[in-house]
Amino acid sequence: MMNTFAFVIYPYLALTAFVVGHIYRYRTDRLTWNAKSSQFLETGALPVGIILFHYGVILALLGHAGGLLIPQRIYDAMGISGHSHTLVAYYAGLLVGNPAFIGILLLLYRRVARTRIRATTTMNDFTTLALLFLTVGAGLYNVLFGHYEVLYTVAPWLRGILTLTPAPELMRNVPPTYKIHILSAFTLIGFAPFSRLIHIWSAPVGYLFRRLVVFRRRTVRA
Amino acid sequence: MKIKAQMAMVLNLDKCLGCHTCSIPCKNVWTNRAGAEYIWFNNVETKPGIGYPKKWEDQDLRKGGWQLKDNRLSLKAGGRIDKLVNIFYNSDLSTIDDYYEPWTYDYGKLASSPARRHQPSIRPVSQITGENMDIKWGSNWEDDLAGVTETGGGDVNFRGLAHETYLQFKKVFMFYLPRLCEHCLNPACVASCPSGALYKRDEDGIVLVDQERCRGWRYCVSGCPYKKVYFNWKTGRSEKCLFCYPRTESGQTTLCAHSCVGRIRYVGVMLYDADRISEAASVEDEKGLYPRQTDLFLDPNAPDVIDAARTQGIPEPYLEAARRSPVYRMAVDWKIAFPLHPEFRTLPMVWYVPPLSPLASLADADSPETIIDRMRIPLTYLANLLTAGDVEPIRLALERLMALRSYMRANRLGDVQDDETLHRLGMTPEIADAMYNLLAVAKYRDRFVVPTTHRETEVEPHEFQGACGFS
Repeated sequence: MMNTFAFVIYPYLALTAFVVGHIYRYRTDRLTWNAKSSQFLETGALPVGIILFHYGVILALLGHAGGLLIPQRIYDAMGISGHSHTLVAYYAGLLVGNPAFIGILLLLYRRVARTRIRATTTMNDFTTLALLFLTVGAGLYNVLFGHYEVLYTVAPWLRGILTLTPAPELMRNVPPTYKIHILSAFTLIGFAPFSRLIHIWSAPVGYLFRRLVVFRRRTVRA
Repeated sequence: MKIKAQMAMVLNLDKCLGCHTCSIPCKNVWTNRAGAEYIWFNNVETKPGIGYPKKWEDQDLRKGGWQLKDNRLSLKAGGRIDKLVNIFYNSDLSTIDDYYEPWTYDYGKLASSPARRHQPSIRPVSQITGENMDIKWGSNWEDDLAGVTETGGGDVNFRGLAHETYLQFKKVFMFYLPRLCEHCLNPACVASCPSGALYKRDEDGIVLVDQERCRGWRYCVSGCPYKKVYFNWKTGRSEKCLFCYPRTESGQTTLCAHSCVGRIRYVGVMLYDADRISEAASVEDEKGLYPRQTDLFLDPNAPDVIDAARTQGIPEPYLEAARRSPVYRMAVDWKIAFPLHPEFRTLPMVWYVPPLSPLASLADADSPETIIDRMRIPLTYLANLLTAGDVEPIRLALERLMALRSYMRANRLGDVQDDETLHRLGMTPEIADAMYNLLAVAKYRDRFVVPTTHRETEVEPHEFQGACGFS
């Protein structure tokens, strides 16, 4: 029962909140849709922390997508065995997980230790950071000490969730630190549209293609 | 030829008395909010000095504006790819300490203080943290040269001058520099915005921040060489001077200009050729930037310009205003107004008439120095500020202003007119009279020639709420 709630109902609740939340927020609250940067108030540990964290987390997300969403049989067909897949995932996890975790420690320290930053941090910001800390921390712990085979358990379960064919029994024997990582990640997904994380969707790719100096003309009735 | 209209301003520094009256209504109307306490869309600085934020003019440090690299115009802080790769941390951004930490006082403590031997006093309290703080800088920190012996060396306008000499009491000089957004023809802030939130209004060139599209990447703040785009630390968005467009659209002038007690400000429309912008901003020799920008402006009385403008849909009130533009007369006809730091290559549109100053030394019969060279404010300093270091245009403007004074003095006293000097400076008695009228006696309608806009002809104006500079 608990297993079904945690690995079927809860993920779908989170994904629903994620989709509906973003649409709702974009339609009703565009004025607060930004990164809420605190660089202007104080830098301190920010430059190192923020660069480590962002690059670490973005690469980690791409790694998760590549490793979990694509079934192992496709990798097998490409000649990449489950063993070598896990090995690549382990070293890639070390390579991006460590900077992401160090980054988040530095950012968390700055949030708490610097008066100006603490004074301008909301509960929402702290919640976001705490969830990120938990997710990244548990993720890195699993890379370092977990050594659990996820390719035939967590990975197909996740694909089941996304293809609307949930298979919670796959999660039954997964170690608790993996469950923590997964549950905090889904909490983060559900919370994201109500937090500062929405700035992810504003990655300014259009800047590469537009004219540098923008003119805007208003439409006038003929 | 692509004709566009642009709102522009001229400030006659010869008449600025440094009273800060311009800053007050601007502050009260536009930046009197949490997160914007430290923001002054209009502020008055004393020159020499390093200003607000500190050293805003030093682009080796601040990396604002454009540069010419391999004969191509590019943003000094780096191009598109550079910005996207470094989007997480803007290494060129100044912090709030370069402006000042906003503060208030717990005034209640004055009233609730028990009777004591001495007057009660209260300490400044940070509006960010709520803790006691020391005030270390401000938007008018260097007022009337306060602390200039410490900071003056950092003033880049001393380039080519021995600043120690001019900071000695006997040689010292000063004048005021009121500053606001330049509403540039080639704005670096607009070009720097990754989100495309900043834009120039097509109808009058006013530069605005779309508040609903601003994602707080902060590149406009570091990209503007005048540091006139500000980061609201509370909302996480950028804000800037709106040229008071809700007023100008109804034919009124800006708050800063309206409130100026010295009547130093002039607002008018300029027509320019938008096809030649990048060409004018890419002149190799920095000293060529000022004359090339002047060449961009089209003669609003020329029949072919009027015809072309009408065909391209410039509304009639704009053409009428351009014909009577006080800015055009001072900048183009008389050449007594100059852009602020044209070497930033943004083609700024708030121009300045350089100030005359008292004579620093007595005339020496053998010296080739003219009266202009003996003025307290060194020509080179003004040239570094207004013409990228070219002293000749500044000299000509100051000579014209001096000739105007001699002309009026002779008029008043019934002396013989020195027509030769007027003629040598390219002036006639008619021009001198017109200059006198505009510089000394002009009334509201002559100083501010602002066309009205017909917003009622617009489709769905409510859809633009929040996209026009303020929310």
